[in-house]
Amino acid sequence: MRPGEFGHRTESGRPVSRPPSRARGSGGGVRTLLTDPTLPVAVLGTAAIATALYGPMLTWAITGGLAGYSLSGSV
Amino acid sequence: MFTIGLLAGGVLTAGVLWLFSGLFTPLPAGGRQGLIVAVALLAALRDAGRLTLRLPQNARQIPQDVLRRHLTRGALQFGFELGTGVRTYVSASAPYALAVAVLLSGGSYAPALAAGLGFGAGRALTPALRRLSGNGEGWDNLLARRLSGMTMVCSVLIAAVACAVLG
Repeated sequence: MRPGEFGHRTESGRPVSRPPSRARGSGGGVRTLLTDPTLPVAVLGTAAIATALYGPMLTWAITGGLAGYSLSGSV
Repeated sequence: MFTIGLLAGGVLTAGVLWLFSGLFTPLPAGGRQGLIVAVALLAALRDAGRLTLRLPQNARQIPQDVLRRHLTRGALQFGFELGTGVRTYVSASAPYALAVAVLLSGGSYAPALAAGLGFGAGRALTPALRRLSGNGEGWDNLLARRLSGMTMVCSVLIAAVACAVLG
């Protein structure tokens, strides 16, 4: 067992501070990735290009979504 | 209620633009399509910082009082005002490009309805992602760092779609 591995303490008995993201485990990383502010731009952008020539109504909705999301941070 | 307000606001603005679109139907379709593409390209240039252009906007914030008076009704009103896009700041050019596209495309109400619903849903993504992140302050910081790039990419994508569909 490495020092500090068990119970988050060093050999001297003092608690080890860990970054919050590590403390939440790998789920925190996935959550951060899935809620990244740029993710909707990537998803909507890909969808807009994919539907541009074949799904006019969906393209309008996705384009609207891009326009709405571009106002992030503005209230 | 907030999201319902956003969707209703987006639909209202798109509906009004669609009603006014009838005024532009005498213009030839080719000219209207050219204008839509030109405005989308100008919007992309503006968000890329290559063009300085003042655009009309209601330079105010929705007062926080609307949420204090009655939470449910306030959330609906707050969302509705945000969703209309004309009751608060417009910090990006993409909504202008979309508005011009709805105004000049003419035809059926369905594309305008889809665009309005999409706009409201797009606005709803921001608070939804912030909440889902579990770390609102950290998410705000991340957004602040990436906002200008995101705004530009959104405008460029809309211009690309306009060019692909109408160009």
